[in-house]
Amino acid sequence: MSEKEPVLSEKESLALITAMINKARDVYHETGVSAIMWGALITICALVRYAEYQFGFRLPFDIYLLTIIAVIPQIYMSLREKKTRKVQRYDDVFISNLWLAFGICLALLILTVNMAFASWRPLLEEYKQLTGKTPEFLLGEYVTSLFLMVYGIPTFVTGASCRFRPMMWGGILCWGCAIIAIFTPFRTDLLLTAFSATMAWLIPGIVMERDYRRAKKQEQTVHV
Amino acid sequence: MFKDLDPILHSQLRLAVVSLLIGVREAEFTYIREKTGASSGNLSVQIQKLKDAGYIDVVKQFKDNYPQTICKITPAGVQAFEEYVKNLQTYLKT
Repeated sequence: MSEKEPVLSEKESLALITAMINKARDVYHETGVSAIMWGALITICALVRYAEYQFGFRLPFDIYLLTIIAVIPQIYMSLREKKTRKVQRYDDVFISNLWLAFGICLALLILTVNMAFASWRPLLEEYKQLTGKTPEFLLGEYVTSLFLMVYGIPTFVTGASCRFRPMMWGGILCWGCAIIAIFTPFRTDLLLTAFSATMAWLIPGIVMERDYRRAKKQEQTVHV
Repeated sequence: MFKDLDPILHSQLRLAVVSLLIGVREAEFTYIREKTGASSGNLSVQIQKLKDAGYIDVVKQFKDNYPQTICKITPAGVQAFEEYVKNLQTYLKT
């Protein structure tokens, strides 16, 4: 824009306002690295656990412990992203708080499920000893549904509020898989978890990263 | 009856800055410069005018040993912008 201040007509003013508001809206180009990392990690964890059951082997450690380790690079990435960000949208604060709440809920859910299993196990053993049968009701058959239901919430809200369809549909798919998982055995639930993580985070993450890189490239071309 | 358009906002660059800031929580000086295509000197002058009018808050700080200027629209700025758009619409309707 020139150093001299041109007199704006009413129409020009309105056109300028619209153009600038659209420019601010265009800024949403989030890197997809976090989504790719979590999508790939949960998919791998679920598939490894499935392989353990299917082929009768056990890893010397719980594969899901990798999710705790993954929190470290996540914190690093979030801090780096915050540092390099030139603009903060109102949505950014909302979305980061949403995913923080999701992380807390997930930790609480894991704790609750483990406590429930710890209380359930002696009862199960006692039942087996008394009747010689395994009860038809197995707690583990329903746990996956709870997790998938929780996975769907921030995924759907992020997708809907950022008008990012792959993530919105990913969230809906998580809920669809949560319903299916109620009726399927635990092994199938693990495959449903892997499928949900791939569709809700891994693939949207790849799309997001591709768009981000494309936008960066365009920005560089414009400013050369 | 027509109201006069706010002279602080009725300027190309100042209006561009406020229109940009209305949609975001806060933005760095470099981001505003990129989006408006203005020169640093001109933008600094216009930002100072908006700050003096109480329409934006400007925070100057250091990030990784480099100076950083962050701009944020104030409630008075939001009100003035809304009023400006309302008056513009009145003009355009006639």
